[in-house]
Amino acid sequence: MNAVEIDRVTKTFGKAVVAVDDLSLAVPAGTVYGFIGPNGSGKTTTLRMIMNILYPDCGSIRVFGGELHGACTDRIGYMPEERGLYKKMKVRELLEFYGGLKRNGDVRRAVSHWLERLDLADWASKKVEVLSKGMSQKVQFIATVVAGPDLVILDEPFTGLDPVNTDVIREVVLELQSAGTTVIFSTHDMGMAEKMCDFIFMIFKGKKVLDGTLESIQSEYGSDTIRVRAESDAGDIADIEGVEKVNNYGQYRELRVARDRDPHEILTAVMARTRVTSFEITKPSLHDIFVRIAGAEAREVSGV
Amino acid sequence: MSKLWKVALREYKATVRTKGFIIGLVLAPILMGGGAIGMALFKDRVDTRDRTVAVVDRSGLLADVLVQAAEARNAQAVIHPESGEKLRPAYLIEVVQPHETARNAQLLELSRRVRRGELHAILEIGAGVLHPREQRETAAIAYYAENAALDEVRQWIGRPLNEELRRLRLIGAGIDPATIPDAFDWIYPESLGLVSVDPETGEIAYAHRSTELQALLLPLIPVMLMFLMIMMGASPLLQAVTEEKSQRIAEVMLGSVKPFQFMMGKLLGGVAVSLTAAAVYVVGGIVFVRRFEFGEYVPYEILPWFFAFMVAAVFMYGALGAALGSACNDATEAQSMALPSMLPVMIPLFVMMPVVLNPETAFATGLSLFPLFTPILMLLRQGTPGGIPLWQPWVGLFLVVLTAMLFVWAGSRIFRVGILMQGTPPKLGNLVRWAVRG
Repeated sequence: MNAVEIDRVTKTFGKAVVAVDDLSLAVPAGTVYGFIGPNGSGKTTTLRMIMNILYPDCGSIRVFGGELHGACTDRIGYMPEERGLYKKMKVRELLEFYGGLKRNGDVRRAVSHWLERLDLADWASKKVEVLSKGMSQKVQFIATVVAGPDLVILDEPFTGLDPVNTDVIREVVLELQSAGTTVIFSTHDMGMAEKMCDFIFMIFKGKKVLDGTLESIQSEYGSDTIRVRAESDAGDIADIEGVEKVNNYGQYRELRVARDRDPHEILTAVMARTRVTSFEITKPSLHDIFVRIAGAEAREVSGV
Repeated sequence: MSKLWKVALREYKATVRTKGFIIGLVLAPILMGGGAIGMALFKDRVDTRDRTVAVVDRSGLLADVLVQAAEARNAQAVIHPESGEKLRPAYLIEVVQPHETARNAQLLELSRRVRRGELHAILEIGAGVLHPREQRETAAIAYYAENAALDEVRQWIGRPLNEELRRLRLIGAGIDPATIPDAFDWIYPESLGLVSVDPETGEIAYAHRSTELQALLLPLIPVMLMFLMIMMGASPLLQAVTEEKSQRIAEVMLGSVKPFQFMMGKLLGGVAVSLTAAAVYVVGGIVFVRRFEFGEYVPYEILPWFFAFMVAAVFMYGALGAALGSACNDATEAQSMALPSMLPVMIPLFVMMPVVLNPETAFATGLSLFPLFTPILMLLRQGTPGGIPLWQPWVGLFLVVLTAMLFVWAGSRIFRVGILMQGTPPKLGNLVRWAVRG
């Protein structure tokens, strides 16, 4: 069964901006689905349409089998990209309010559980305005999951978190998944997407450009990447015939091999120019695939 | 409990629990009543320095009389008979011989003395004051002072002058004034309410004296309270909604509630806030005036209307505020919207005087039936001593409720679009388009 089915959805703003263009997507229940794509490519618009905050111009969106338009979204927890918390409220009070909106009945035990789980129990009676950025992000996360939703949508959940808290949230997301919750999250952190997601979906200029498991996506590109660590970086290896692109990461360099060339030949040519201390012939990373698709436009925003 | 009520409850608690609300609840009547209390306190703080008036009497008839009248007044009114405290300034008359040829030079010299503080004012009595109809050109009495219009001596001086002139005119006509001492007595018409039959005794009951207090002040009290309640319940919505939009709380909320529930919840919260404050003031006010035995002045028959109009008004203005607030992008834009959004509440305050003086004119009736002005103006007219026909508040209330519903409907459509729209300025065209297209 699919948690979310998006069928040929288009959403435009004004006359000029096509935010989402004829998009179809199926998110199987119980999976972790990663949304990637450059800024302004339509991720947030898609998420907002799943949340029923924006209505599509045409096409349909079904959540847990039910047509969404105008329907209730109580089974979905949504954490927008920019945090929205009432600053003057106390943490517990706020979470009980947000939880209570989604679920009838007592949410106090759930609030206590989550405050404990995310190490915020000491802050329960503090006002939101005194929290640090990381803490308020965790509060926002609790607000999203406290009502026990079946589908959790997280827009950029890891930005602004330190590595410790990033790990905590990652663990919690995986716990949610093993408890049967479907998780959709958008991220600019390709490493995180590679590690966590069962499926990866990439949207670019409103259109779907990638959709599948990491392996299936990578296998489309084949083993066309050579990762080389060399003794000195004096030798220029970009002009070797058959090398389409070289990414210099400082410690090592990644060479993209042209489609019709044999990576072994290239590697031999590299070794003829410089002393190679280690090498790996591999599939392209998600990061690399992202950059290949989004290219120059994404270069500024994704920090490549 | 439905989502709408949960939003309303949060909104209500968020306002009522703040120190600002509680302090405001106490301060508002003090500030409003403060003016009156201050005036009462400082009423006796008068300038008791003596006033010397130079009198240039070209008629030759009045200077001596004025000196006597001033002495008589000074003997009676200046010093408190028991405490010996000086209560008011003494009026001193300095008789100046009129200069026949150089009138202007004389007036200029006297004016200089006034500026130097030696004199308070100059009184110039024309030669023809005894027979103003025959000697129109010279019949004037001129009072020169630095602030002549508000001068208390000028206000006093008219009566002794004219009494003497009348006396002289009678004598000139061959009548001895002593034979008709009440020739110029003036009787003021007393202001009274209408006569009715007392339902208990069956006897004719005279209304009590209707005072200016009753005619002007009493209708204003519920109106000021209404203004205050709109300020407390409806006008904060504009800023609050903009804040929730700019802090992205709105997006989180819209993940859980529909835009209509969100806005309606906020409106209900505002209504609850103003009901709370109004209940405190009305109950407190009634207890207070009864304690001081002014209980007869409490307009009980208006109270239900007050609450009905107030609830409708908070919905109406609140929906307007929430719609505008959802279209603003930041506090600055919201600030610049605050005044226009409050104009419908301010305009009735500017026309209060003509309406309260003539509550039954077409002007007053028409304005008070215009829904945006109804909550304040209809209530004002209902409070006037004569009252107004009963159909008018009913029609007014009906129109206000209808307008409130229209505003809530249009407001929620604007709200739905505006609350997520970033960077689009709140132009009227956009608002109308969002309201129409949803």
